[in-house]
Amino acid sequence: MAYQTFNQKSFDAFSQPMFFGENVNVSRYDTQKYKIFEQLIEKQLSFFWRPEEVDLSTDRKDFANLPEHEKHIFLSNLKYQTLLDSIQGRSPNVALLPIVSLPELETWIETWSFSETIHSRSYTHIIRNVIADPATVFNDIVENEYITKRAESVTKYYDDLIESVAYYQNLGEGTHTINDETITVNLRDIKRKLYLTMASVNVLEAIRFYVSFACSFAFAERATMEGNAKIIKLIARDEALHLTGTQHMLQIWALGKDDPEMGEIAAECKDEVIAIFREAAEQEKEWAEYLFKDGSMIGLNQDILSQYVEYICNQRLTAIGLETIFPTMQNPLPWINAWLVSDNVQVAPQEAEISSYLVGAIDSEVSVDDFMDIEL
Amino acid sequence: MLAMTQKEQEDPKGFQLDGEYDEHSDFHLESPVPPSEAESTESQQTAFFLPEHNPEQPVDDDQLELNGLEKPIHALHVEGVTKPLTFHYANNLLESLEAQDVHLPYQCREGYCGGCRTDLVEGEVAYLQEPMAWINEGEILPCCCVPKTALKLKLKG
Repeated sequence: MAYQTFNQKSFDAFSQPMFFGENVNVSRYDTQKYKIFEQLIEKQLSFFWRPEEVDLSTDRKDFANLPEHEKHIFLSNLKYQTLLDSIQGRSPNVALLPIVSLPELETWIETWSFSETIHSRSYTHIIRNVIADPATVFNDIVENEYITKRAESVTKYYDDLIESVAYYQNLGEGTHTINDETITVNLRDIKRKLYLTMASVNVLEAIRFYVSFACSFAFAERATMEGNAKIIKLIARDEALHLTGTQHMLQIWALGKDDPEMGEIAAECKDEVIAIFREAAEQEKEWAEYLFKDGSMIGLNQDILSQYVEYICNQRLTAIGLETIFPTMQNPLPWINAWLVSDNVQVAPQEAEISSYLVGAIDSEVSVDDFMDIEL
Repeated sequence: MLAMTQKEQEDPKGFQLDGEYDEHSDFHLESPVPPSEAESTESQQTAFFLPEHNPEQPVDDDQLELNGLEKPIHALHVEGVTKPLTFHYANNLLESLEAQDVHLPYQCREGYCGGCRTDLVEGEVAYLQEPMAWINEGEILPCCCVPKTALKLKLKG
């Protein structure tokens, strides 16, 4: 029952379910039960990037020139992104690694979570570049009630799962009394928590992140804060991969072949999952209200962003085989696709003609006027 | 313009590594950016991406035509679109539809994000590369497949 860092038993890895089977022993990738996770790892590794590759000197200037209400939109959005990636940079590891049973899935979880730490580093890179005192931004993430309120709903499923897995691994199934409190540990109940956690992670990556991307790209659509948008583009490319990973896990469970009990749970939890999506959509709309409280920006306002929330929520629901819940079926921000497209992200700077790359270049254009004051 | 010329004015405050950022200060940790470039109001984004040619037009690319083998044309029917659509020269179904003014959501355009998921009502497609995104029963990913037969499609949303 207790977690083993190296399981000494000899067993057939192919017969293990994704979670709650044997603890993984040998990290081997020559064969896989689900080759998709191996493919995801390969892809994620090929995406490796560093925030410092993106030059933000133009953004510093752009930011200083933004009107106050747009500074509020930009910074609040960045704070929210920082919160989400702080969570994702650790929680999949803490919550899922103790219970995972397949080597390729275990490594995918680590690779996935690691790439989120790159995202966190890039927020620091952005904040350090545009603001004189980064601490004011970081401190506000734990002090601002609009942000902490959201942290609560994002993390409650993770925390609940982590707590009950700890009880399960220390005490086993049954009823226990700890500190005069009666605790019932039931594996099926924990699997249910795992399923709901994965659904809420899917919501985090597939809806919450995309709403924040829309705000970042709305600035760049007006040719301001373009370095920031370039970083967000790299982050969006990673997130597309992560949400594919969670969609696969959810759907593999739903088919019931991996773990029949998970198949039953998936069927039982349908309404609850839809409720998680709906709750997140409502929160994102409330967030839109906070973002635009002092005024809208060209191309984006509370109304349009709320429509985008509904649109993306519907999209993600159909992806995991559920019915849509909102009337908005058309993308209210059609330009976002051109920003999200990821087959043009890693162009060499000299090819993309990024203005900041040309800094220090000598203007070699010489006109007749330049020689006017020369006398022989 | 040479970057050096910006330093001509005397800065009475000197420079501070950690102080408030002052946009008028002459000292920059990174070199100053020529202002003219940053102030263009047109976004560069679409210019990067959009293909230079119409993907549904033949390209003159010196490739040998196989004797007697014409590129097949497949009829496409998209629910809600009345004009006749065909797949002929494009590299994949997504490009073909876009070239004929049928717009789908997309992100990665190489099969891992699942953004372009579309319902295949009738017909058969062949994948050019194995799609990584989850595909439900009856769905296809137009960004990485081509038709094998005439297709009837239903767009999401």
